[in-house]
Amino acid sequence: MNFEAVIGIEIHVEMKTKSKMFSSSPVAFAKEANTLVSPLDIAFPGTMPIVNKQAVINAIRVSNALHMEIDNELHFDRKNYFYSDLPKGFQITQDQRPIGKNGYVDVKLSNGTVKRIEIERLHMEEDTCKQLHMADYTLLDYNRAGTPLIEIVSRPSIRSGEEAMKYVEAIKSIVVFTDVSDGKMEEGSLRCDVNVSIRPYGSDKFGTKVEVKNLNSTANVQRAIDFEVKRQTKLLLSGVKVEQETRRFDEMKRETVLMRKKTDAIDYKYFEEPNIVPIKLSDDFIQNAISTCPELASQKLERYIKVGLTEEEANQMLQNRLMASYFDECLKINPKRAKAYWNWLNGDILAYLNKNEIEITSLKVTPDNLDSLIDMIEKSTLSFNQARNVFEKMTIDNKSASLIADESGLKQNSNEDEIRKIVLQTIEEFPQSVVDYKAGKDRAVGFLVGQIMKKTKGKVNPQITSKLVVEILKTK
Amino acid sequence: MLKYDLETIKKCANNLMFDMTDEQYEVLLGEFKTIIKEMELLDEIEGVNDISPMTFPFDVTTSYLREDEALTCLDKEEVLKNAKEVLDGQIKLPKVVG
Amino acid sequence: MYLGKTIEELHELLVSKKVTPLELTKEAIEALKKDQTNALETLCEKEAIEFASSLIEPEVDNPFWGIPYACKDNFSTKGILTTASSNILKDYVPVFDATVVEKLKAAKAVLICKTTLDELAMGGTGTSGHKGITYNPYDPSKTYKIGGSSCGSASVCAQGIVPFSLGSDTGDSVRKPASYAGLVGVKPTWGRISRFGLFPFAPSLDHVGYFTRSVKDSALVLSLLAGEDLTHDATCSTKPVEDYYSLINGDIKGKKIAYIKEINEGIKDQCIKDKFNECIDILREKGAEVNEVSIDKKILSAIYPSYMVISCAEATSNNANLDGIKFGPRVGEVSTYQEVMINARTKGFGELIKRRFVIGSYSLLSANKEELFIKAQRIRHLIVDKVNEVLKNYDAILAPCSGKVKSPIVNNSDNIFSDIDVDSMIIENHLGIGNFAGLPSISIPVGIDQGMPFDFNLTCKAFDEVNMFNLAYSLEKELNLVNLSTVKKVNE
Repeated sequence: MNFEAVIGIEIHVEMKTKSKMFSSSPVAFAKEANTLVSPLDIAFPGTMPIVNKQAVINAIRVSNALHMEIDNELHFDRKNYFYSDLPKGFQITQDQRPIGKNGYVDVKLSNGTVKRIEIERLHMEEDTCKQLHMADYTLLDYNRAGTPLIEIVSRPSIRSGEEAMKYVEAIKSIVVFTDVSDGKMEEGSLRCDVNVSIRPYGSDKFGTKVEVKNLNSTANVQRAIDFEVKRQTKLLLSGVKVEQETRRFDEMKRETVLMRKKTDAIDYKYFEEPNIVPIKLSDDFIQNAISTCPELASQKLERYIKVGLTEEEANQMLQNRLMASYFDECLKINPKRAKAYWNWLNGDILAYLNKNEIEITSLKVTPDNLDSLIDMIEKSTLSFNQARNVFEKMTIDNKSASLIADESGLKQNSNEDEIRKIVLQTIEEFPQSVVDYKAGKDRAVGFLVGQIMKKTKGKVNPQITSKLVVEILKTK
Repeated sequence: MLKYDLETIKKCANNLMFDMTDEQYEVLLGEFKTIIKEMELLDEIEGVNDISPMTFPFDVTTSYLREDEALTCLDKEEVLKNAKEVLDGQIKLPKVVG
Repeated sequence: MYLGKTIEELHELLVSKKVTPLELTKEAIEALKKDQTNALETLCEKEAIEFASSLIEPEVDNPFWGIPYACKDNFSTKGILTTASSNILKDYVPVFDATVVEKLKAAKAVLICKTTLDELAMGGTGTSGHKGITYNPYDPSKTYKIGGSSCGSASVCAQGIVPFSLGSDTGDSVRKPASYAGLVGVKPTWGRISRFGLFPFAPSLDHVGYFTRSVKDSALVLSLLAGEDLTHDATCSTKPVEDYYSLINGDIKGKKIAYIKEINEGIKDQCIKDKFNECIDILREKGAEVNEVSIDKKILSAIYPSYMVISCAEATSNNANLDGIKFGPRVGEVSTYQEVMINARTKGFGELIKRRFVIGSYSLLSANKEELFIKAQRIRHLIVDKVNEVLKNYDAILAPCSGKVKSPIVNNSDNIFSDIDVDSMIIENHLGIGNFAGLPSISIPVGIDQGMPFDFNLTCKAFDEVNMFNLAYSLEKELNLVNLSTVKKVNE
């Protein structure tokens, strides 16, 4: 029997707003424990939630990028349950009326086809406090409590590990490029829970669903699902039922392992949050959130191809949002140099960043200065190799390329009159070369250029020199 | 008909993270009997199923959203002041499993 | 010397330097130490004396300068123990002030004590706090209740120790005890006063309320406490606050007042019946139109069960933060976080509270929600619509606060639905309409029967506090029952 996988994914995205979802305490990471806490975050009695405007703007932007219907009135609900990391004993979320619903995202698969993944809902909620588990006790840090979250719930329209991976990548790209989140799975700012079941091809019933947690990279999403599909197929083929359970992905073993059997579903006793009256969102507010949204990766991709990058090159650039925005700055200076910028960014600049383990935002070379460097190459003021030397110096202090070239005497001489003098002088020094040339030995040209380079320590433009050598030899 | 035997309400209490004495459960069962009966009687009121449920006392909406500005928050000492067990600036609990 | 005086009277004395804030404070504290009603949670002696000592130069335009007041112990007070009369909070010391407490501090009113309440404000008898029963100062025999949940605040104001005190009102927790204690009890429109720092019972019904001994004082208090609080309570209205005190003119000519036939059918005491007729006459004499209107008894008797379901459901969630982790007691040896919670909550909550939590939680379970919680919310809508229909044609609804002048303290009086007749159930619970609909509502003393005072209630349109105070003032003036307290000899 052949089975198909039915996969649904819930993604939690931690927003990088300045303040929390419902309080004014700062959102920040890796700060001293319990120093970013307001009375609301730790659920002191009498505190009430006040909705963060930027969180709403972010949710609208992501909803829009996912082609969702956006609600023009905000409603929040309480999800009631007890857990050690849940300060209030309930989480404020949007159960009845998510801000976004009925959307989709198209992902391109490796076989070239495009798959549309349907998305059921997007809603805002708040994060719990962080637990630090020690050998025989647990410590609670409330800095994270109340951090704004977006939850995106797909419909079970995903059919393979690859589709799932591409879907998560697409969501990640959207939240990163809209500046909503760092989207770092490895650091937990983008977390996904995957529901996997299988069923015979052609069936419209759902099989027993297994939830997989602890997926810290998109690659692991694919691996975990591929493993899980194989595991469930094997079970069914050998006549064993799939149990409803929660599993986690073990990165070392590259397999899913049982966390817990699903007991009775928790009844969350949802009801509307009585401390947040419905908030009307005007059309202007929604439109403004959308129109001021930072450009999405998919929009950038189109633009990059227009200025002459291949799709592969463009995608390469979009791997890193900061790199892409640097590239955008460059394109503003001279879109015709797109390819040259790309070459630098993916060559020396990337190598430099990697070597020094820094982001491009810490690079001292400004887009303007990179452009002036490229300009000097194009005008043959610098050879490519000289340019690389100049670049290296530019990374130390932000001086213009030409200033550095001047200071280090690296500037290449392209003045024809000056070069002509040197050529004439050199030909006089090596009369045999004239004889050789006349006898049809072309290497005489190379020999002379080499001598000139040696004499000038490489500071003359080789193309011009070579051209002049031929010109003058012909007149002899 | 809503089900409210001893087992149901015990489970309900335990899910709320407390327990009660048998006597107290008995009193509670009596209260359940009355309140559920009273609530069932309300079906007789004309229009009760045609009207929407009401959360807020009157039709109240706002367009106010808080600007995203981080303000000063509590000192760590204030955060931890009321906690009974504190270690390394954090609240200490027995090991949380699962 | 200065006990039993109103805010207005004390202000006069303070401004003319006949008395200092410190003297007032010391006198009030001494009186509190002799309290026989079990009204005190915490006496703020040190803080109050320190603050009162700092008040030297009287502020003529600030009626609250140097005035002592009491605060129900479910308002967050920075650095001052706040227990909500529950063992689960028996050592909780808040790190911030409630907005109303902050406003009073800024106005230089002197907080002298935190007062008892029914545990977590979830009760109406004044008997369920962790310190036991709070008694009615009008009844030295300790037979009749003062009512709750704002029992302690009612008692200290009725004893004349403070001219005003803060309470909270989710069903009638200010307006009902006001009646038993012969006080003016106010709960304004939902959203008129910020609830930030008020420990929530059921936020969609919760109101900050207060007691005074005159209508004019109560207008002063509202002008101070009302107003937006966008950084802390977004449900709080941004409508401008009016100068309620100055707008009182006693002119009620042409005002229309309704009373509800089915509510009054529950009146048991003849003196209440007589007083009601007397009040109607007074109002008519002063030029108001008073008419009887009718609301289906089935709807009115639905108030109590639907109130129980909604308030208990919200309460179970609001009090889920009381888990013994961040604050509250750690009880016994524990090896799991669940045990931390279970021990704290099992030992920390009283019996009544637990039963109410279970009812609330049960009402929200997905299997029961439609039949209980949602149905109760529909009933609420129905009741609110009916009342607003009446108020479309009337400025106010006048009603007795209770069918009886006094009500005995019964051991298990707070069991839900002690067997009472339908008429009693209606009249004893109709004040909840003000909470369902969020309407401004005031109880004012109208009579004294065998030494025990009783109030009537006026409920007006949302944000129509001006009319509410004006109507109440007119009645108060004619009845000549301003500034009752046990300090003065009560004239029958």
